[in-house]
Amino acid sequence: MNKGEQEAYKRDYALAKAQGKPFFPYAVYKDLVVATFAIGFVIFLAIWAPIPVGEPVNPATTDFVPRPEWYFFFLFELLKIFKNENALTPVIMATFIVPNVLMVLLLITPFIDRGPERRIWRRPIALTSGVMVIFFLGYLTHLGAESPGAETGIELENLTPEAEAGLELYLANGCTACHAIKDVGAPGPGPNLTNEGEKGRTIQWQIDHLIDPRSTTPGSTMPAYPNFTDQEYQELAVFLNGLGTEFR
Amino acid sequence: MSTQDIETQTPSPDGEGAAVGAEDIAPKGAMKGAIEKTGDYVDERSGLVTGHKWFLFRNVPGETSWFQTLGFTAMALFGLQAITGIVLAMYYKPDPNTAFQSIQFITNDATWGSLVRGMHRWGASAMIVVVFLHMARVFFWGAYKYPRELTWVTGVILMFMTMFMGLTGYLLVWDQKAYWATVVAVNITASAPVLGPFVADILRAGPEFGPNTLSRFYAIHMLVIPGGIATFIALHLLLITKLGIAEPPWAKRRFRAAREEEAERERMRARTPAGREPVPASPSFEPPQSWPSKDVS
Ligand code: HEC
Ligand code: HEM
Repeated sequence: MNKGEQEAYKRDYALAKAQGKPFFPYAVYKDLVVATFAIGFVIFLAIWAPIPVGEPVNPATTDFVPRPEWYFFFLFELLKIFKNENALTPVIMATFIVPNVLMVLLLITPFIDRGPERRIWRRPIALTSGVMVIFFLGYLTHLGAESPGAETGIELENLTPEAEAGLELYLANGCTACHAIKDVGAPGPGPNLTNEGEKGRTIQWQIDHLIDPRSTTPGSTMPAYPNFTDQEYQELAVFLNGLGTEFR
Repeated sequence: MSTQDIETQTPSPDGEGAAVGAEDIAPKGAMKGAIEKTGDYVDERSGLVTGHKWFLFRNVPGETSWFQTLGFTAMALFGLQAITGIVLAMYYKPDPNTAFQSIQFITNDATWGSLVRGMHRWGASAMIVVVFLHMARVFFWGAYKYPRELTWVTGVILMFMTMFMGLTGYLLVWDQKAYWATVVAVNITASAPVLGPFVADILRAGPEFGPNTLSRFYAIHMLVIPGGIATFIALHLLLITKLGIAEPPWAKRRFRAAREEEAERERMRARTPAGREPVPASPSFEPPQSWPSKDVS
């Protein structure tokens, strides 16, 4: 809007106000009706669908698939689109770039779209982008709602006692928060480990990787696990290195 | 207050409203006088009463729509969250050893506990939905355009803070689902370049999830963000009352005004001597019948 259009808007708005109605009661009554309805609905839901008590936090159980509140589903679903499979889908797109670009775009919307037109049917770009954003948010949220809930452990055959202990450690230390084995665990940001054994890593490589992921995989975003005992490192490494080959 | 009350009270010369008139001797009249005097006293020193009247009785455009109630509804839901949250805080214990039990107690044993907890959880979802719808209405109406750009910016910040409330509140239940979801969310934060690891450390209160993480989330959820939201709602409302609420883009008044503007331009065009802008240079130009006319006003 240029200066003239801004002045015109202000003049027109002053007219609208002069010919308008007092805030109280004409606008207030509508506000109160809708707000009362909304609060009533919340009370209705609280009675009709009470919130259950979940399972207490226990890092050693086997059935936790991280599940956020529904309004974060779309962010989790982004992780399934960008999961480091190839150069076009780096994880950082889902964890950082896309959310932040959207956030900034949202913040600066009024400084991008500065035309004087306010009727949506005369603003094709705003209309299309608005509808598209709503469609994709809805779609991703729907996908998130459909994705499997709590699982009952990871079924793997031929586990040796050492690998069994490795599995326990794997489950107990939140690895499933970033990795999946046979559909159990989060689909990202870490790679699926179902066939980790086929990569031909050595036991020592796995141990070094756990102690400091950046020493073996430069630029890795996986957190370091420097506090296991030697035996625990051994168990985890044996477990990881057999995945997809010995243990399937 | 009936008109009669006003008539009997206002003429009183020394401002003592309750002093004259037969009804005013009755206790009710005296009471009213006292209230009015208190009101005047406060108003003289604070401007609160006048300010209130200005706030309530100022004009808004005539054709306000039901879509424009969503902001107020978001505010009402925030109030509801504050109230149910305070009640929950009276029973909740932010310690990894007791948090889960206190949630269990609230849900199963405390009087109305399940209701209050349910309202707080569903209220959070409802608030997200309502804030999103409010934002959609502002977007599709172009209500963020001049002069309301900053109202939009404060609104976006409000929305992010509302979502962050959801994230921090989720962990407080200290159950499996919430715990692991939060671990992932914080790990994702940690993987962001440059600031990520710092922010994650701040959230976790250290490099790992531990007892301090819970009390940190509690403090953020209870004090930091609600304070931020309250501040930004105040800013948001300040801007809204200052700028006035937008008129629906399809308001009949607007269309009428547009038609009149068009007609006015038409008249101007008709009055402008031939050959000068904005008359289109057309060889077949013929002065309209109304030109030259007398209504040159
Ligand atoms: C914050 C998320 C996160 C957590 C938690 C996590 N990882 Fe990872 N992990 C990653 C990412 C991201 C990569 C891929 C890094 C790369 O390739 O850049 C990875 C890679 C790996 C790899 C593949 C190494 C290779 O290239 O062969 C293994 C094995 C692995 N992680 C095991 C584990 C184990 C075991 C745990 C638990 C002790 C764990 N991870 C916890 C994020 C995570
Ligand atoms: C906690 C969240 C929020 C609260 C409590 C809130 C409150 C309000 C209220 C009471 C109004 C008055 C008009 C109406 O009710 O529609 C309003 C208007 C407005 N809001 Fe919000 N809002 C919130 C979030 C947002 C968000 C997320 C945005 C946009 C990103 C936003 C942008 C605006 C704008 C631009 C106006 C002025 C619109 C007009 O004048 O027509 N608000 N808000």
